[in-house]
Amino acid sequence: MSEFNLMMAIAILLGAAVSTRADDDADLAEREEQAMRAAVERVAPSVVAVETVGGRARGDQSLDLAGPATGLIVSADGYIVSSSFNFSQQPVSIIVRLPGGARAPAELVATDSSRMVVLLKISVEESLPTPEAVPEAEMQVGQWGIAVGRTFDSAQPNVSVGIVSALDRVWGKALQTDAKISPNNYGGPLVDIRGRVLGVLAPLSTTKGADATSVEWYDSGIGFAVPLVQINQNFERLKSGEDLQPGLIGVSLAGRDMYADPAVIAACRPNSPAYKAGIKAGDKIVEVAGREVVRQVQLMYELNRRYAGDSVKVAVLRGEQRIERELQLVDHLDPYQRPFFGILPRRDPVEQADGVVVRYVYPDSPAAKAEVREGDKIVSVAGKPIKDRYELVEAAAAIELNQSVAMEILRGEERIQFDAVWTAEPETIPAEAPAAVAPLEPFADERPATGSFEVKVPEFKNGALAYVPADYDPRLKYAVLTWFASEGDFKDDELLARWKDRCDSQGLILLAPKAAEQGRWQRGDLDFAVKALDQLRAVYQTDSLRIVAGGHEIGGALAYAMAFANREQIRGVAAIDAPLAEPPPDNDPVYRLDFYLTRAAKSKVAASIEAALKALRERKYAVFVRDQGEQGRDLNDEDLAELLRWVDTLDKL
Amino acid sequence: MAAFSAASEAVQASLSFAAVIRDVQPKIVKIYGAGGFRGLEPYQSGFLISPEGHVLTVWSYVLDTDYITATLDDGRKFEAKLLGADPRLEMALLKIDAANLPYFELAEEVSADAGARVLAFSNLFGVATGDEPASVQHGIVAVKTRLEARRGVFETPYRGPVYILDAMTNNPGAAGGALTDARGRLLGMLGKELRNSLNGAWLNYAIPAAELAPTAAEIRSGKFVARSAADDRAKPEHALSAALLGLVLVPDVLDRTPPYVDRVRPGSPAAAAGLRPDDLVLFVNNQLVQSRQSLEDEIERIDQADKVRLTVIRDQKLIEVELGAPRNP
Repeated sequence: MSEFNLMMAIAILLGAAVSTRADDDADLAEREEQAMRAAVERVAPSVVAVETVGGRARGDQSLDLAGPATGLIVSADGYIVSSSFNFSQQPVSIIVRLPGGARAPAELVATDSSRMVVLLKISVEESLPTPEAVPEAEMQVGQWGIAVGRTFDSAQPNVSVGIVSALDRVWGKALQTDAKISPNNYGGPLVDIRGRVLGVLAPLSTTKGADATSVEWYDSGIGFAVPLVQINQNFERLKSGEDLQPGLIGVSLAGRDMYADPAVIAACRPNSPAYKAGIKAGDKIVEVAGREVVRQVQLMYELNRRYAGDSVKVAVLRGEQRIERELQLVDHLDPYQRPFFGILPRRDPVEQADGVVVRYVYPDSPAAKAEVREGDKIVSVAGKPIKDRYELVEAAAAIELNQSVAMEILRGEERIQFDAVWTAEPETIPAEAPAAVAPLEPFADERPATGSFEVKVPEFKNGALAYVPADYDPRLKYAVLTWFASEGDFKDDELLARWKDRCDSQGLILLAPKAAEQGRWQRGDLDFAVKALDQLRAVYQTDSLRIVAGGHEIGGALAYAMAFANREQIRGVAAIDAPLAEPPPDNDPVYRLDFYLTRAAKSKVAASIEAALKALRERKYAVFVRDQGEQGRDLNDEDLAELLRWVDTLDKL
Repeated sequence: MAAFSAASEAVQASLSFAAVIRDVQPKIVKIYGAGGFRGLEPYQSGFLISPEGHVLTVWSYVLDTDYITATLDDGRKFEAKLLGADPRLEMALLKIDAANLPYFELAEEVSADAGARVLAFSNLFGVATGDEPASVQHGIVAVKTRLEARRGVFETPYRGPVYILDAMTNNPGAAGGALTDARGRLLGMLGKELRNSLNGAWLNYAIPAAELAPTAAEIRSGKFVARSAADDRAKPEHALSAALLGLVLVPDVLDRTPPYVDRVRPGSPAAAAGLRPDDLVLFVNNQLVQSRQSLEDEIERIDQADKVRLTVIRDQKLIEVELGAPRNP
């Protein structure tokens, strides 16, 4: 552990002959306590209280953020580091109270949005005491970690004692401690037994992105501190007023499992650093910053802790050829807009596939202009042979908007090659399209249960009603709609009366979860819905291009949340008269996501719907909007038919 | 246990935690009373402060019944009589009919500062029953401070000094338990579940024994006169106001409109003190005011006869002024 503990161990050995064990225990405890106090005393002159005035109120948060915060002096001329948690409301004034009691107004110099820390500056005449940073090489799991805040009493620090639980957490940005980390000490230091600073306490989260409100783990035995040495490395940049953002290179990776799959690029965002360096879809990233990359997680570990503006050397394999490039990371990418050819594909059983048969051609689309017809079979795109819909969608992810793409189709025996410029999608739903599947021989073998049944998940109170079409045929792939009713509850027979025939005729599996607490949706219900969907998809053949979350009113807000938190599986959101509670994530070439929204002039949530629409369009998503007139309402029969046609078009290209 | 000689103190100091805990546990009492519905647990903790059965505990709904029972460490169960309570300190004194009991010396002058190791004894979650000893938690004093340091932050009538603990004592049934130092000497009584209303974080705290001792003694001697919970938010009859000082603040439009000065009435005390439009008021008598509303609340706690010290920020500089109501308002 530390020299101190070694010293204690020796002291105990030497004393063993003359003293009792109880003596030693008490002595050890007392000396340990003394060492801890000395550590706190050593750092305390650098630990300041930070108070804020004004700023946005955030009534929607469980933890209000108005409280006093802690800061750590990092330079003698008045620079102070704190946690950005305390400043997310953009206060109009920041006052630092020094340990001696003197107050000084502070300026917010810069924010590090990757590590959730801010740099403040106060004007001082005398030089301020600065702490010593522990070098990263000396940090060890198991060593003492003493968290110091100054939020209860500006005259004395508040202390919580724990150990360092892990190093290199949150993509190498933080160390972890079991000391009690909360708004009472965010922004303060985590020090070792000698009073040297290990890191600055910050509410980081491994599950959410860089988000100022990731406090779900406060006082839970898991707390994070950003190593002071890392902050010091970027001190000059912050000092110059530069806000530090997470760095992006602009690629999407193929595959589902970042812990298993190699870092093969599925799409490269136009104008991104990777794009400008000539990196292409299909390339496999094998090395970053001199470190070998075998699995995607290794790439993320190297990239997620770097900032926009940083440069990083990347090596990719293109076939046998190794290409090395130096990329400069950026803080934001041009929004991705999905290019559109203008067809619906047929969904014949995959085993028979040697191309994708065109089911429907959108009028005025690039496909129509290229005189593609129903029944034509697409066999190659951009030089890649296409066997089925999934390969076609994968190839489409790498296509650029308004760029010419070489394509090849079969019409009967005739092989036709042409170039097509894929363009932006129209926001329309075809009124009618030919059947997606040719009639099959009746299926004679055993099938899983069809019709309606209840889905339960161990450890959850919730239940869900599921309906599987009566003529379910495991040779086909079925769309799934997870439907969140408005209040979290419904009568099974009423719901079935609405949906049963439609599910049968459209080949749709319905999953309708119920809230754990009757009549009230809560965030925990989402976990249930996701697990219930997993269970259903494990048993039935489902179409990964047409997995939809939908809901009415608050149920719609849940549908958004489910889709945003499960990008790898949800492909559509149907939000019926529903508010949007969180900003949508960026559009993505691999994780396709389409939206069906209803709006109404006098809806209770009209403003939120308009804001949602604006945010989705800014991110260049494909959104279909149904105007319901004056009053917001649930879907009527006509809307429902339209919604199901929309679900039917989610595999459009 | 009363006064320690130097020698006995040395003996005491050499005891390990195990011995200390064995010594303390018989002084802890499990208290049962009203509750048991709507998430209110019908139990809490207490501790003996006399050999003849005086039990100190928190004043709470649990005691709001004619049938309070107290179970001792050895499993003996007694009906407890409520001798008195002081809602201001959130404390109550019970009496059971017994003799020769182990007890804490409440009058003993023991205190601890930040970083000191402490032990917390209580029946949290009601986990101990019958003759099972109370639960022990180990931690340190995070800081010793006053709850009144930030007004309106904690919803409790108690405004005195507290030990903030680096130990999870904030649990059902823990309130009324004993906080001791590493030698088992009484430091204070564990407080009720309390949330910091400024940052929402739960608070683990204990009220120092020295705060409780005088009232406990008064109740024991029958001299105690019940006081209602002191309300330091009460306003004086002739309260000062921003208007009296000649301050016109920016309109209160947001939840937390910052207390900016909009105008200063000519000839007013504010004008004489040199306050100007666009000054942002930060402190009233050293109390941080985070919004226009809290500025007005703070000023209205001051009597017209008294001066008030305002700290404003102007061009990133702090300026302090003292002013009072005009002589003939």
